[in-house]
Amino acid sequence: MESILVIIDAEEDKPLSGQALETLGAAAALSAIVKKEISVGLVGSGDLSKVATALAGAAAKAFTFSDAALKDPGYARDAFAAAKLVKASGAAWVLAPASSRWSRALPGAAERCGGKVDTHITSFEEKGGKAAAGRWYYRQRIFGKILREQGPWFMTIETGSFPKAAVGVGAAPAVTPVAEALPASRSKVLGLRSLSGGKQTIKPDAELLLVAGAGWTKTQKDGVKHAKEAEGLILAFLEKYGASLGSSKAATDLAAEGGEALTFMTQLHQVGQTGASPRHAKGLATCCFGEEPHVVGWRFINERRAIDLNANCGWAQGKADVLYVADVFEVFKELAK
Amino acid sequence: MSDTSVERQSMEVDIACVGFGPAMGGFLTHLSRGLKAAEASGPIQSPTMPGAPPTVICYEKAEDLALGVSGVETEAKAIKSSFPDFDPASVPMTTWIKKEKTVYLMDPWGASRRPLLVRLADPILRLLGKKHSFTLPVNPPFLHKKGGIITALGQFNQWVAGQLMAEGAVQIWPSMAVEDLLLEKDAVTGVRLADQGVDKEGKPAEGFMPGMDIKAKLTVVGDGPIGSIGRKLNEKLGMPEGRHLWEWAVGMKFVVSLPDDCPLEEGTVIHTIGFPEPEIFGFFYVMPNKMASMGIFVPSWMQTPVRTSYRYLQYWMQHPYLWQYVKGGKVSSFGAKSLLESGIEGEPHLVGDGFARIGEGSGTTNILTNSGVDEAWASGRLLADAVLELLKSGQPFTRENLDKTYVASRRRSAIEKGTRKARHSRDGFRRGFLPGMVGMALAGFTGGLLYVPSREKAPHDMLIDLERYYRDRIPAAELRAMEAECLQKGGTLWEKILPRLGWPEVVFDGALLISHQDALLLGGKVQAVHGYRDHVLFDDPAACEACRTKSCVEICSGQAIARVEGRPVPAFDREKCVHCGACIWGCARGGRGDLAIDSNIAFLGVPGGLHSAEN
Amino acid sequence: MSIDHTYHLVICGSVVPDPLQSLEPVVTQGKPGLKNELMLPMVLDPFVNHSLNEAAKLREATKDTQVHLVAVGPKAKLQQLMMVLAQKTAFNLVAVDAPAGGFIDSHTVAAALAEAIKAIPGLDLQKTLVFGGWSSASRASGTTLQLVGEKLGITEQFFGVDRLTPAADGGFTVLERVEAGQHLETQVAGAPAVIGWATGELPELPNNPKIGMMNMAKIMPAIGKAKAVDLASAGFSVVDTALPAEKRQTRVVKDMPAAAVAAEIKEWIASGKAG
Repeated sequence: MESILVIIDAEEDKPLSGQALETLGAAAALSAIVKKEISVGLVGSGDLSKVATALAGAAAKAFTFSDAALKDPGYARDAFAAAKLVKASGAAWVLAPASSRWSRALPGAAERCGGKVDTHITSFEEKGGKAAAGRWYYRQRIFGKILREQGPWFMTIETGSFPKAAVGVGAAPAVTPVAEALPASRSKVLGLRSLSGGKQTIKPDAELLLVAGAGWTKTQKDGVKHAKEAEGLILAFLEKYGASLGSSKAATDLAAEGGEALTFMTQLHQVGQTGASPRHAKGLATCCFGEEPHVVGWRFINERRAIDLNANCGWAQGKADVLYVADVFEVFKELAK
Repeated sequence: MSDTSVERQSMEVDIACVGFGPAMGGFLTHLSRGLKAAEASGPIQSPTMPGAPPTVICYEKAEDLALGVSGVETEAKAIKSSFPDFDPASVPMTTWIKKEKTVYLMDPWGASRRPLLVRLADPILRLLGKKHSFTLPVNPPFLHKKGGIITALGQFNQWVAGQLMAEGAVQIWPSMAVEDLLLEKDAVTGVRLADQGVDKEGKPAEGFMPGMDIKAKLTVVGDGPIGSIGRKLNEKLGMPEGRHLWEWAVGMKFVVSLPDDCPLEEGTVIHTIGFPEPEIFGFFYVMPNKMASMGIFVPSWMQTPVRTSYRYLQYWMQHPYLWQYVKGGKVSSFGAKSLLESGIEGEPHLVGDGFARIGEGSGTTNILTNSGVDEAWASGRLLADAVLELLKSGQPFTRENLDKTYVASRRRSAIEKGTRKARHSRDGFRRGFLPGMVGMALAGFTGGLLYVPSREKAPHDMLIDLERYYRDRIPAAELRAMEAECLQKGGTLWEKILPRLGWPEVVFDGALLISHQDALLLGGKVQAVHGYRDHVLFDDPAACEACRTKSCVEICSGQAIARVEGRPVPAFDREKCVHCGACIWGCARGGRGDLAIDSNIAFLGVPGGLHSAEN
Repeated sequence: MSIDHTYHLVICGSVVPDPLQSLEPVVTQGKPGLKNELMLPMVLDPFVNHSLNEAAKLREATKDTQVHLVAVGPKAKLQQLMMVLAQKTAFNLVAVDAPAGGFIDSHTVAAALAEAIKAIPGLDLQKTLVFGGWSSASRASGTTLQLVGEKLGITEQFFGVDRLTPAADGGFTVLERVEAGQHLETQVAGAPAVIGWATGELPELPNNPKIGMMNMAKIMPAIGKAKAVDLASAGFSVVDTALPAEKRQTRVVKDMPAAAVAAEIKEWIASGKAG
């Protein structure tokens, strides 16, 4: 029977991530258009039936694929398990969170099921009796809606785009375990690594994003550069206010060039056209010069303020709620107090 | 400059070319055709590798060959003779010229610094019922480009390059800058490419790769008026007797998407005079698909050191005559370029042992007809013919041989006939706007026999003190206070002086009126490739210290050169530099005798420039 | 370090409008595209560009490793792009003459790439590492490489890779980007595998005129031979393409002392926080 299958990675005794619940919320939005039932497909380790039970109210059926090797992400194993769940469920629509894990593996599962895949979906709407999936193109610069006639249609759901589904009310889904052996693997997960010298400055769950631009390391009004001082002020701010750090392309490039730069900046910090578009409730841009294409880096920031000496700063005019025309060093010294 | 002590790779080619513009387009197109045509009748052989075809390599510092000011109207006689079936539709932003007119713009704000006679003209025109402008009843015939085209030079260059690459007889390498000449005694033996993997000071850094030496039998220099190799040749050889590089202008333009209801027909050319300052001329070219290239020329004979092309461009655009056509439209691209306006007066040594020069930097521009692209193309073609002749006859590229082939054909050419007539046509402008207009008309209508003579002056000598220039408008003490504030707090003089003269505030609307920095980023980006050294250097800090006006800061087309609080030497930010080169001749210290190019600003050859889809 | 092991590296990539250009969607003959699409300067997709740097490095570190670049784009744009790219490192070009744009289905692009790869003479799939960008600057879907890999039967795939360290036995470890700025390290027994690169860690390759001249001799014929492929996808369409219309009313605060600015920002950060 055609249904909507939501694929989620799960572990026994671990609560589901907010992203997983948002994907279930997306399934509800899709279900309202296509009028089909929602099932859930759990991939992970341990006894996943417990996790399925906790999804009462959000899904009618649950399919589980459990294997100790699925504790860690890995394309080959994840794509295999997901494809098996899809086949077992007979789903016509397959949704998964646009997490690093499913962004990798879902397209592979789609190909194995003879399906089609689209990613980073942010909305559903009805168009001519069918569901159209909205997403951004050209790195958040052009919005478009996809229509597909062939399925099964696999989609990853962008974080922050749908409300979390309410779970734990109503009947628990009927659980069907899929018992298959994973294929022999030629790869082994060794663990997580941090390349930015142990300083964890990217915090996706933070409420506030601080965008530090190249202006921090440019010549200041006394005619001298103050990169070391800038580093101290930025790190103090991140710590005090629990903020996540982003940077402009110019600032990241400076770090890569080995010039006078903020040493903790890596390519991963970059937001905008050639970087990430993080989602946070608030964003504070500092010393970011008016690089129009990079300003898309904070498209998904709800409340935006900027500090810059230039009143025509492109990050601010028409893009931020408030622009403080001020010396960021002075303001950050005050903020550190 | 590049370090001479490091070990460099070298490569031998037959012909090394510097800069890919219209002149090089003409040269390579005809050389390539000649080499292909000879294949049937007995191929032309490489002098370095007999038996193989000649290797011809062109190095261009811009990425994607899109460097250039877009707006060009040209009679395209030479171009059309190279492409008899030329169809403007095959080149984006290109169309036939259909209408031409010249419009005098009255001063709507009373802020312009107009000589008395011009000031009197406005009320008289108003009495005659003219509100904002006056269209000249006839467009001067010498300005006509009948049968010509409007094009975007970047697009045209790309079109030419595409055909050349497909032919395969020559190679063009963009994003590769030539830093120096290779010399043996007085002969040019090739070029040295820019070092890569260096820091901003040019010191080796990660991925250091010393610029390769390209040894060539012939080096063709077509890198434009501010090209680093052309300037090096000028420095080494000096200018021929009586020649100088003293007349310049910065051309700055916007590409605008016109509103749907704009009544101007595709192919319309409008020249403007009189506003924002009498010295500043404007152009408005209507391209296909409701696009227009519109801009101004700010000349070196405009005596104020406060030459902000960008702000003047915005004032000009807001003139009611132009605003009526663009209102509701949107700026989609921006660009700037230096124009050498000395014409034949600025013709350098065209050839020497192992080198030949073509294009604008070789004095091809006709300053009476305001035409340069077609002449540049024609000069390239002349050199191609000469080179083919020498290759076929197995003669070396010596000064003597190039003289009797290329130079001789230049002397007989239509370019030279035109540039000789135009020679003194603009001299009158050194005396001011009105003598200049009269001189131009005289020269135009008498084929150059009559003109308004004036004493030749280097561009820095044309600059006069602020106090003198604004003597009837702003008290000297106030000007000095403005200067002092700039020195102390940074910023520009024009920001202070222009509003004081009554120029209105520019209110940004995000569509037609945008900040200078947004203009740099709209529709394009400044190429500032990592791994190369900074290309603008201030040679002598003492000269900067002594300089009050910092005309380089005022004229900078990208705000890349800026005053720093309390410091005498301006700062340079290559990520904003559009490579227009106005700082070279706009430097108030000026250069050596005949050269405007040996000022206090060194402008080195590194890849870069403003890269825009619509250039 | 030199490793006595040979890989066959295949880089998949397409041309994209220079990411820093202003882009505007238009619909021409019912198909979505970009305004002035053919005039926009095109570059090799930035993440693919990084993978080219990485391929050059891996070739240096290994023995007899060959590099093939399978590039999708309109012929004229590929030709323009090669003028820059050919100077970077030696590669064999396989050109696929097809439109390149964000609104094209990744499934048809993947099919065209997989066909082109299968047709590379002498390519040993068991030695092959398929390189590419983990997500394009146009479609930004991050799906094409997976589909290519699956079509070639390659199931070991890694995405958002910033580092690949080869081992003497032909195996390697990869660092893949995961959440919160961290990397997942995985040990892989060896080829075949698909590596979707993020930015990697290498500086841009310098332009080398000699390499350029060598490459160009093969590249122009390869472009001449480029197979024209229609990437239309049955039952797939992108509609209602639009730029975001948002323009905020920015309150500009000038001449406020730093302490007052800081106080206002503190208050703003604290506002609306749960608990």
